[in-house]
Amino acid sequence: MLELDGLTRRFGEVVALADLTFSVAPGRMCGFVGPNGAGKTTAMRIVLGVLQPDAGRVRWNGAPVDAPTRARFGYMPEERGLYPKMRVRAQLVYFARLHGLAASDAAAAAERWIERLGLSERAGDRVEALSLGNQQRVQLGVALVHDPEVLVLDEPFSGLDPVGVDVMSGVLRERADAGVPVVFSSHQLELVERLCEDVAIVNRGRLVASGAVGELRERGRGAWSRSGSASRTTGTAAGWPACPAPSWRRPARAGCSCAWSRARGRTPCSTRPAPPAP
Amino acid sequence: MSGRSAVGLVARREISERITEKSFLISTVISLVVIACVALLPNALGFGGKDGYTVAVDDPAMQSVADAAVRQADAFDAKVELVESGDADATLTSSGIRAQEKPDDKLLNILQAANGQVRSADALRDAGLDDRRASAALSPPPLRLTTAEPIDAAAEERGGFAFFAVLLLYGQLIGMGYFVAMGVVEEKSSRVVELLLSTLRPRHLLAGKILGLGLLGLGQLLLLAVLGLAVAGAGGALDVNGDVIVAAGLALVWFVVGYAFYAAAFACAASLVSRQEDLQSVLTPLTLVLMVGFFISFGVASDPNGTLAQVVSFIPPVAPMTMPPRIALGEASALEVAGALAVTLGAAALLVPLAARIYSGAVLRTGGTIKLREAWRAARA
Repeated sequence: MLELDGLTRRFGEVVALADLTFSVAPGRMCGFVGPNGAGKTTAMRIVLGVLQPDAGRVRWNGAPVDAPTRARFGYMPEERGLYPKMRVRAQLVYFARLHGLAASDAAAAAERWIERLGLSERAGDRVEALSLGNQQRVQLGVALVHDPEVLVLDEPFSGLDPVGVDVMSGVLRERADAGVPVVFSSHQLELVERLCEDVAIVNRGRLVASGAVGELRERGRGAWSRSGSASRTTGTAAGWPACPAPSWRRPARAGCSCAWSRARGRTPCSTRPAPPAP
Repeated sequence: MSGRSAVGLVARREISERITEKSFLISTVISLVVIACVALLPNALGFGGKDGYTVAVDDPAMQSVADAAVRQADAFDAKVELVESGDADATLTSSGIRAQEKPDDKLLNILQAANGQVRSADALRDAGLDDRRASAALSPPPLRLTTAEPIDAAAEERGGFAFFAVLLLYGQLIGMGYFVAMGVVEEKSSRVVELLLSTLRPRHLLAGKILGLGLLGLGQLLLLAVLGLAVAGAGGALDVNGDVIVAAGLALVWFVVGYAFYAAAFACAASLVSRQEDLQSVLTPLTLVLMVGFFISFGVASDPNGTLAQVVSFIPPVAPMTMPPRIALGEASALEVAGALAVTLGAAALLVPLAARIYSGAVLRTGGTIKLREAWRAARA
């Protein structure tokens, strides 16, 4: 069980996270949703130790997460990043080694993922020479190469073409089925609804709701279905259904992103624009 | 993963990635060629050795002057050769010296002195002095030179050695500093740094980068030093003895110390920006300090035991460029060298944790240029 317990973090005046608590069970896929600036990225960075919380802690299997534990986590940051001049295979091996794999294991794991992600022909190329789609695959490979016990992915589906979405969701499903808790943030409600068992909704650094997707849907039936169908009809790749992206930076139009706020029984977001991202 | 193995992994990546880069290989080869040329060319071009001149005689009456010039050239550290045709540096005619363009002052001095001697000899003979007494009057025993300090026959070549030691140190410090800075910004601009920091601490990333590039720079410098000394020794430009090898070894030590200081500073400055284009603005103060050290080192080399030399070789940012020439010229005591090393190492030891903290605070922030104070505050243990 991956537990985020009372995470709080401020950037100057801006409260990025305020007492955020939720957990992800092994073998479950959890969608982490909320508007821009809600604190999703901050929370994920804290889980990975990239940021320190002002208060609260992260626990894995009941014990506070430390560096050796984190080495067994897999992470895909929102800001995609790889060494542009490093070759695909070398890059995968390097990150496997950073996660503590021995040299021979790292080489074998890199080879396995190169094949799994269909990168065999590009394994010797520099990352910068790859197409965007292939770069995304390498990024996913880097997150998975050490066979992580926990997977944390920040907007893993953004910018993917339909084939990429299929590959990504297939791999995530497979990891979850193998018993790994998978948490990913997304703007795409439809995807979350389709892929995830659980969902955690945040706004302005606070948890709004969390639990099984079906349960939450029951609780806020009208709102959920409306937002879901809207997403399907408009089919926007990123951003909230039927909202002009980036919808949460400015007051949203009534009847779109407000679906979520109604689901959680609070003031509609349209009257309260989210704070700017730190 | 332990900090140590993290640092080792990062360092190894820096080395293996850089060493296979074409630009790195090319720059190394160019440096090697330049060093080899510099070590060989002075002799090939006739610098350092004796100056050679050719003189032709147009008027038989001037033959005796030409012969005297050949005899006297040695005293001027030159060599005069008689040639037939008019293609000579200078031609002696009945009316004087004729040349295509103005000859070297040295050749003119030789010819004027030779002329003076021949004319004086003629005059003495005309006055009735016999040849023996005339030549005795004209060739008095040379004045003996005595100096308070022993004369170092190799002073000039030592000066050249000191100059190249400083040039290499300056070039290598600034070059590796830029490598470190560009590496830091590459990680920031490509955003890979966030992924890296999910597996290791900022200070381990910084330490690994500095260590890896430092080893690479040291190896490159060692290669240049060995090749330079070998070529200079073989070509006769420098007498490679124990003193020279010790001085070269100490110059490498000074590279390590200076690099520790500057690499930390360059990395810290580079972490404040997110794009390669912004790098120049934050690095300018550092390159200026390096340049100041480089230019001061000329003053130091000309008076290696003066007040300036003694003071600046103890100031950490410039010591790596001002102490080595003093060592190369044999003008620094072991105590001074050890003291200056200790002071510079101490300064580096103070700077590195400060730089690491600023780096930690700034490396995850993207956008414009971050202020030092902000980075300092953003850093947490």
